[in-house]
Amino acid sequence: MATLKMQNVTKQFGRNVIAVRDFNLEVKEQEFLVLLGPSGCGKTTAMRMVAGLEEVTTGKIFIGDRDVTDLPPRKRNVSMIFQNYAVWPHMTVYDNIAFALKLKNLPAEEIDRKVKEAAGLAKIEMLLDRLPAQLSGGQQQRVAVSRAIAVNPDIFLMDEPLSNLDAKLRVSMRTELKAIHEKAGSTTVFVTHDQSEAMSMADRIVIMKDGEVIQVGSPDDVYHRSRSIFVADFIGTPPTNFMEVDVRKEGEGIHLVNSHLNLLLEPALAKHLNTYSKDKIILGVRPENMLLVSEDEAALSASCLVSEPQGSHQVVAIQLDDSIIKVIAPASPTILPGTAVHMSFKQETLRFFDPDTTLAIND
Amino acid sequence: MSEKIKKPFKLSRLIRKTIFYLFIVTLAVVIILPVFFLVSLSFLSTREAYLYPLPLLPSLKARYSLTYGERGYLLSVYDDFNKEYQTVLDTNDFEKMSVYMHSQIGTPFSIPEIEEVIKDLESGPEDTVYFSARKDLLYNYDTFFKVTREAVPALLRSLQIAGMTILISLSIGGLAGYAFARYIFAGRDALKFSVLFVRMFPGVAIALPMVIILANMGFYDRPIGLSLVYSVGSISLTIWITASIFIGIPESLEEAAQVFGATKVQSFLRVTLPLALPGLAAAAMYAFLGAWNETVSAIILTQFNPTFSVVVYQTLLGSVGQVNLAAAGGLVMALPSVFFTFFIRKYIQQMWGGVTI
Repeated sequence: MATLKMQNVTKQFGRNVIAVRDFNLEVKEQEFLVLLGPSGCGKTTAMRMVAGLEEVTTGKIFIGDRDVTDLPPRKRNVSMIFQNYAVWPHMTVYDNIAFALKLKNLPAEEIDRKVKEAAGLAKIEMLLDRLPAQLSGGQQQRVAVSRAIAVNPDIFLMDEPLSNLDAKLRVSMRTELKAIHEKAGSTTVFVTHDQSEAMSMADRIVIMKDGEVIQVGSPDDVYHRSRSIFVADFIGTPPTNFMEVDVRKEGEGIHLVNSHLNLLLEPALAKHLNTYSKDKIILGVRPENMLLVSEDEAALSASCLVSEPQGSHQVVAIQLDDSIIKVIAPASPTILPGTAVHMSFKQETLRFFDPDTTLAIND
Repeated sequence: MSEKIKKPFKLSRLIRKTIFYLFIVTLAVVIILPVFFLVSLSFLSTREAYLYPLPLLPSLKARYSLTYGERGYLLSVYDDFNKEYQTVLDTNDFEKMSVYMHSQIGTPFSIPEIEEVIKDLESGPEDTVYFSARKDLLYNYDTFFKVTREAVPALLRSLQIAGMTILISLSIGGLAGYAFARYIFAGRDALKFSVLFVRMFPGVAIALPMVIILANMGFYDRPIGLSLVYSVGSISLTIWITASIFIGIPESLEEAAQVFGATKVQSFLRVTLPLALPGLAAAAMYAFLGAWNETVSAIILTQFNPTFSVVVYQTLLGSVGQVNLAAAGGLVMALPSVFFTFFIRKYIQQMWGGVTI
């Protein structure tokens, strides 16, 4: 196992497409790091540069103490799980796993032992004689995992490995991958566009957009302390609700006001806006941080558009002018469309964003 | 519950089925009939081959009658169509008779055997004896290789040319196809289209320049020269076949190989090449058939070292000029391509475990 360090890495395709811009990252030993972002944000390119499948335009990549920037993939001692599994269809499962070991000219007994060990970890010992065409998608995925484990790599790279699986299998494979990671203790970089996958698996999440890192932090960090509107919107289902509000200083207190809302901020929060000079902010509030209250306690009142029951809770959609905000409410009583909904906020969870820079004000 | 479900009779379905089967049968006849005639013709004796109407099937033996003639003995052969004996020879030269019976009727009959029959004729009460002789079915094939002395070397030469054509067009065309499939470069599509240009010109039209070019290279009348000429056409086809195969093989398979310790060349040889085998087999088949069957360029570009197709062509039109011999030669020529096609077909159908990649 080893650390991974990327220093000022930039990747440019052709003359004017910059896929990754000035990327800096340090992955600790045994850490499970997730690169998260919408498609085209450069996360896969960043990972492929680590694998050596893309050349680095500028910058340096270190695995442990080794500068691997200009090494071909085979000399980097990384292993990778591909989105389409990339198990070789003309080789049996055994040969797929043994491929890298054979290229290293290991003795046959050692290859055999390592193949069986890796197959055991991914629970495919009984499939070793099969060809990939005879396997289901989930089993092929396991073959790819065993193949990656068998070489005992410094860094484990996973490029959206779960996105080709059906929804149920995806969730159970998450748990298994995480368990395998715990057992193997490998330093792992995992690429995904699925934020719930990232949240559930990562030690740390790197959120990327347009080739740049937006925020790095633990799942809690990026969820509760989103650094920008983009992150607050990208993480969480349903995502953060945003409202544009005026900042009014009246006497000691600070009010956030728009046509539906009049909220007196608690002093702990208000102090974040003391030095803020503009008169508008974007207020961000997570759906579960809005509470349904009686009419006289309400900071915000509107009528319910629809309610989506989820069993354990319900998601109430509320129309405010031309935007819809969503609130997570207890499963009962069911809120019918058209009824008035009165809400207040858990103030300590509110996020303030600068409408011009879209960055968070209260950090 | 073993009752059969009876479909209600419908006229429209009957008509549709009838038309369908008529169509299928017609198609089969159109394809099979010429082949049938070629095969049948290659087993006919020279006399049979020029009979009118042409016998549908070769006879297995010939029935003769022998009687006294003006110049010696009168030999007649039974004609199945007219149901009568037709006189073919009047001679007392037994050797001539024996040769005639073998070469024209296809029945080997030695001089002692003839003398035996004549003894019968002279000792018997009748003035005619009837006898029959078994036909040597492979006579045409035998003769074809005997009369055209170049046949065997030409056959080997053709194999050599076809082999070299496969080698040249697969190595160059296959690699080019790989490049077209994997790399993006300026003018790729235009280039890929333009390789087809060479196929637009008929071989005859460019034959003369080819003669001059090959002569300058010292390749005129040599197998390598012909295989170069054939490769031009089959390279472009190979490029198109292999490019589409390589496109179908995910690049990530190669990338995985590279991540797991293979060099670029190793990843190509160990992963991509075996997966592309069906496509390469198809391309090899086209290259083989193209080189093997080609005649026109071969006539022009060879002089003393003809290919087998040229030899067959000469049998048909040249000094020998017998259709049954040409048919035998044609069939000999068809066999390798039929074998090769059937052999290759297994590869083309074999897509790893029945699943396309």
